[in-house]
Amino acid sequence: MRYGLIALFVGMVSAQWLVPLKMIYDGEQVVSNGTVYKFKTRPVDPSDPFRGKYITLNFEVDGIADTTSYESGELINIIFENDSAGYARPLVAQKETPSEGPYLQTTVTYSSRDDSEHPMVFFNLPFDRFYLEESKASEAERLSWQSRQDSTQITYGIVHIGSGRAVLTDVMINDKSIAKIVEEGRSEP
Amino acid sequence: MSKYILRALPELVEARMITEETAGQIRDYYASKPNPAANRLFIVFGILGALLVGMGIVLILAHNWDVLSKPAKLTIGLLPLLTGQSLAAYLLFKKSTSQGWKEATACFLFFGVGISIAIVSQVYNMGGTLGSFLFFWMALALPIVYVLRSSMASMLYICGITWYACETGYFSYPHDHALRYWILLLLTLPFYYFEFIRTERKNNFFYFHNWLLTLSLTICLGLFADHTEELMVVAYVSLFSIFVMLSTIKAFNTDRILTNAFLITGSLGIIGLLLALSFQFYWEELPGYLPKEILTTPEFIVTVLLSAIAGVLLTIILKSNRFGEVNIKAFAFLLFILLFILGMSSPVLAQIAVNVVILVFAVSTILSGARQNHLGVLNYGLAIVTALIICRFTDTDFSFVVRGLLFIVVGAGFFAANYFMVKKRKGGL
Repeated sequence: MRYGLIALFVGMVSAQWLVPLKMIYDGEQVVSNGTVYKFKTRPVDPSDPFRGKYITLNFEVDGIADTTSYESGELINIIFENDSAGYARPLVAQKETPSEGPYLQTTVTYSSRDDSEHPMVFFNLPFDRFYLEESKASEAERLSWQSRQDSTQITYGIVHIGSGRAVLTDVMINDKSIAKIVEEGRSEP
Repeated sequence: MSKYILRALPELVEARMITEETAGQIRDYYASKPNPAANRLFIVFGILGALLVGMGIVLILAHNWDVLSKPAKLTIGLLPLLTGQSLAAYLLFKKSTSQGWKEATACFLFFGVGISIAIVSQVYNMGGTLGSFLFFWMALALPIVYVLRSSMASMLYICGITWYACETGYFSYPHDHALRYWILLLLTLPFYYFEFIRTERKNNFFYFHNWLLTLSLTICLGLFADHTEELMVVAYVSLFSIFVMLSTIKAFNTDRILTNAFLITGSLGIIGLLLALSFQFYWEELPGYLPKEILTTPEFIVTVLLSAIAGVLLTIILKSNRFGEVNIKAFAFLLFILLFILGMSSPVLAQIAVNVVILVFAVSTILSGARQNHLGVLNYGLAIVTALIICRFTDTDFSFVVRGLLFIVVGAGFFAANYFMVKKRKGGL
């Protein structure tokens, strides 16, 4: 009984460490070795009771023309490329896992295969949260809305994509980190 | 209790009821006995302290400090987990029997696990809904319940999995039946059984567990609702009947009504549902027949399962009790299945029958209150009659005079019933 309890304790401690450490390892792998893409976005400012304030990012490129049949929630692999302006856009969507190169493994939200003129598949972009210091999230959202009124300003997320996984490392407005812009705005008289 | 006895000792010695020597022996006995009240206080304040500190750390880290580097944030975020686990290891290897320390450590470690996942998600801007976060947290926190034999961790776990089920099943789109909730719930039942049922331990933790389990099941049963929601009402009546029956079984029965979560949730659930069904809307929308496809729906499967469990329980209870001794609300599921079948062909008749059933339940409750000499039960029965009358006033064309007279009759009934009951207690009747 006692040995069983100790074994359970060891198992519990291992699992409780394994999960956060694996999350850290995966995150670091993607940040260090992944390819960097810029995803055009529109942020809004919600809050999570445990993880704090964040801005939700609504990305513009969440679908691609595809005639394959997909179910909602099905796993899908997306390979991205950069357009002429340097922003990410989906190049290929496929069920098979690519053997090499950066790709994102995600789930299908909706497939419009029955629309014979424009068959599309839409997918989740699982890097839609950018956590910010409590006091900066609302200000960051306001800034991004301002930038939307001004066509010369572009908001985008810096996303590192590795083999199936992706990590969002920053949100930029015209090549400047949104957190920095908020800070500078505060220090101005 | 010991305080009163010790205070009375000088008086008893003076009155020569006991000798000075006996008084001394009594004093020694209480001095050597551990004080259960102090122990209980230590458990309560230990839990409260750990809960507050744990939640405080969660909130402080949720601020998302920009001044801290990534490694600093991760180190600080993982520190509560390490501290909690170290304390747990110390208690485990020291073979500590202190329930207060175990409960407080379990509480702190419970939050430590949540904080560790939250900080990593925050640092790497990981997506994922609140539901998926809660799922991982609860799955990793479950072993704490068994390793430290912690009732508080088990209660937090039940709250957490219920929140998870609500997040994925009710608060987000597309909805999910949250089947994983049922697996997580099943995993905590062995603890409940070994800690409370097998040992017949009926302490405050047992009462709180019963409240949390009944409320969690009541909230989460609705997750099965999909396209044939009308069937869920049958499932709910069966669930509440099961609660009422469980409340009469020795293992779940408690001395006081207020601590009997199964009885209160079951009884209020049945009466509340029947009162809602005494209106037209449900019966009007009931289809005339059930199509074949319904046999494979989650609503149908869960309804059949719960009704079968209720049927088995009722058979067991009827074998060991006389028909008249069984709480009449235990039969609610059988009555409602008949009403449901009747309602498909004749909605008006079914609606009238529901009103009759409520009235029968109310009268039975009033009689039961009078038999037990229990004012609370008696007034509960009268409250059911009042609620039924109020419901009928909203959808019938009674004249004001009739409505007024009915209220006067029920009000007089309330007064008379309570008056005679109190008088009977005083021995006047």
